[in-house]
Amino acid sequence: MSHILIVDDNVVNLKLATRVLEAAGFSISQATDAEQAQQMLAEFVPALILMDIGLPGMDGLSLTRKLKADERFEHVPIVALTASAMKGDDQKAIDAGCEGYITKPIDTRELPRQVQTYLDSKPRSASRN
Amino acid sequence: MDTEFAGEVWAENPDAILAIAPDGRLLHWNRAAQDIFGYTCAEALGLSMTDLIVPRDRVAEEMKIQTDVIAGAVAIYESVRKRKDDSLVHVSISSKAVLHADGSLRYILSTNKDVTHLKSLRDSKLVESKFRDLLESTPDAIVMVNVTGRIVLVNSQAEKVFGFDRTALVGKPVEMLLPERFRLGHNAHRANYFSQPRTRTMGAGLELYGLRSDGDEFPVEISLSPLETEEGTMVMSAVRDITDRRKAEQKFRGLMESAPDAMIIVGRDGKITLVNSQAERLFGYQRAELLGQSVELLVPDRFQGKHPGHRGEFFAQPTPRSMGAGMELKALRKDGSEFPVEISLSPLETEEGTLVMSAIRDISDREQAEKKFKDLLEAAPDAMIIVNRSGEIVLVNTQAERLFGYPRSELLGLLVEMLVPPRYREKHPGHRTHFFSRPRARSMGEGLELYGLRKDGSEFPVEISLSPLETADGMLVSSAIRDATQRKRYELALHEANRLKSQFLANMSHELRTPLNGIIGFSEFLIDGKPGSLNATQKEYLDDILNSGRHLLRLINDVLDLSKIEAGKMELWPETFLVQQALEEACSVIIPLATKKSISVRQKIAAKLLSVTLDRQKFVQVLLNLLSNAVKFTDDGGAVQIDVDYEGAANLRLRVRDNGIGISPGDFAHLFVEFQQLDSGSARRFGGTGLGLALTKKIIECQHGRISVISNLGQGSTFTVILPLPAGAPDLVPSAPGEL
Repeated sequence: MSHILIVDDNVVNLKLATRVLEAAGFSISQATDAEQAQQMLAEFVPALILMDIGLPGMDGLSLTRKLKADERFEHVPIVALTASAMKGDDQKAIDAGCEGYITKPIDTRELPRQVQTYLDSKPRSASRN
Repeated sequence: MDTEFAGEVWAENPDAILAIAPDGRLLHWNRAAQDIFGYTCAEALGLSMTDLIVPRDRVAEEMKIQTDVIAGAVAIYESVRKRKDDSLVHVSISSKAVLHADGSLRYILSTNKDVTHLKSLRDSKLVESKFRDLLESTPDAIVMVNVTGRIVLVNSQAEKVFGFDRTALVGKPVEMLLPERFRLGHNAHRANYFSQPRTRTMGAGLELYGLRSDGDEFPVEISLSPLETEEGTMVMSAVRDITDRRKAEQKFRGLMESAPDAMIIVGRDGKITLVNSQAERLFGYQRAELLGQSVELLVPDRFQGKHPGHRGEFFAQPTPRSMGAGMELKALRKDGSEFPVEISLSPLETEEGTLVMSAIRDISDREQAEKKFKDLLEAAPDAMIIVNRSGEIVLVNTQAERLFGYPRSELLGLLVEMLVPPRYREKHPGHRTHFFSRPRARSMGEGLELYGLRKDGSEFPVEISLSPLETADGMLVSSAIRDATQRKRYELALHEANRLKSQFLANMSHELRTPLNGIIGFSEFLIDGKPGSLNATQKEYLDDILNSGRHLLRLINDVLDLSKIEAGKMELWPETFLVQQALEEACSVIIPLATKKSISVRQKIAAKLLSVTLDRQKFVQVLLNLLSNAVKFTDDGGAVQIDVDYEGAANLRLRVRDNGIGISPGDFAHLFVEFQQLDSGSARRFGGTGLGLALTKKIIECQHGRISVISNLGQGSTFTVILPLPAGAPDLVPSAPGEL
């Protein structure tokens, strides 16, 4: 069973993503900010990280860059959760090293399938942009 | 001898025989006296001889001789007598006294023989021997005349000038060399001269003429000098033919008359010697009122004192120049009014010495025009600086003084580069030259940031418009300068406000979507029965929550899109895509809705139309908006038809037709305006954000396309979208139709 780390500061959204993916059979860990995420990642390496990019303190993109620079995580797919509809945010996520992005509000019927797709595909090269 | 014969001899005596009473009255006057002196017997008798025929200067001499005669002597002498016509005759006189028996004087008997001609010949002989050689050596024609006006000597120049041989002249009255109209007056002039003989010019100020033997007249200038001889005073007249000079003068006058300006020629003494008619008109004087007058007559009182001094300076260095360069000159008319003038002076070398010729131009009109122009300049809201070809400032307004911090007096004549920050100075003259080579009104340094430099060294941003200015002094450039500090400040503020707005929109989008994520997501999650099964009512209410959440999301997206378009931030991402696929995508969303209302959705794509290059996402968005409108405003069982085709070669035409409720003509105006659903009730009845068509129109327009609608109330509407296609984008031909 793939273990997925979800990082999101909004507890309702965190809970929703967790319940939806749990219902699909994934095992989930939760973090509400970058600091907590890093503490948890010191303990284990997840199969995939769902990363909200608008985090308080260190934002999701910075955390992504940091993780992608760490050889422990360079092969872990990181998928950005973007609420912003501004053009270019998607590209920023890719530039930061994310394998892809999912626009909020999430489609609960699609999310498990989307996550499985990222898990199945080969992770991006570790080389940073 | 009988008395009758004696009487006849008496009467026919060729000499004048006069009897003069002791009181000087004439008692007898014979025919010869009448011939010689020109008075008839009736005119002469009873008058005093001294008054009648003795020239004034001879009276004393006559009286002395008369005394001698009374004393008993017979006096024989020659003298000069005056004729009735004022001419003089030489007479040889014999006088004796006829006494009463008591020895008292009864009368004086005097015979007078006219010896004018003889005397002239005698005089001639005298002066000929004395002066002939001398006179031949003078360049002028010389005519010497004796007291009776007879020519006694001429030199060969005189023969040449008048065309007479000297033998034809000597002994003749000098009047034969005068045109007839001057002859009568000449006698009197001559008599006057002999009474006050001195060297002078004849007839000063008058035009004199000589008469040639062939009858031609010619202008002359004559100087007279008395010459004392033992035969009495002679007059030597030097005659100069001034035909050539007169011609030159006439030419000069003609030239002066043809000049556009008033011309006044003045001597060293300030006396006016020549004017043209323009000067008469300009100053309001007749020519005669000006000639010989001091030129200060034409100068206003307050300048008169200094004027002679200025004239002296001119004559000290007589070179052509403008009078009072840089000063405002005023002239005075006869009526006392003043007017502004411009005066150029030039020296004129003449026989009478150096004169000054002044050309005077009335510049009232120009001054008025200049004043008008200056007023206009002052009225301009911008600082105005007018510069000549070499970059010197020639005119500024008060706004320019204020803007640059210089007083006008310092700006005028200053190089305009001094108002430019040093780092731009070097290139500025080049730009100016370029402007003068292609002068047209334009903005300076379009697209560049321009700066002005104040006197205190501070810089400020400026906007400058340039325009050429044709003037009498040549082409100038007029620059209107606006302090752009304020505008720059506003621009920065606006820029910042825009940035903040974008930031705000991005944040708002994030903040609004985040809770919607929970609402929509958990609704779906519950409806799908993931946490457990629901009853029908619970499911219905959850559907309501889900639909409301989705509606709110759409509203947020539309507002965001509109804001992006208005901020000019709508970006286009053209790609080549298959029209059929885009249509399918839109239909897949719409058909479930249409099916609920039993509305048929039909599509028709022109066979030749396979792929287009457009922003695919926006194309689908437009199509979706139009289709959802069509379905929304069409009653159950209606029909919606989609047509896609080329419009000409360069445009795509998308048409969405329905047979729904239609639009009333009065509502067409609001159709594409934000939040203007056609009546307040329709929002409740039909749902929707009220932004769809406004947004659709903007999306189309930012692709340079257009949207139009035809509608009949109750019969349906047809929306037509025309989108320009990029030139040269190739159609994408699918490798196999089956893949579609």
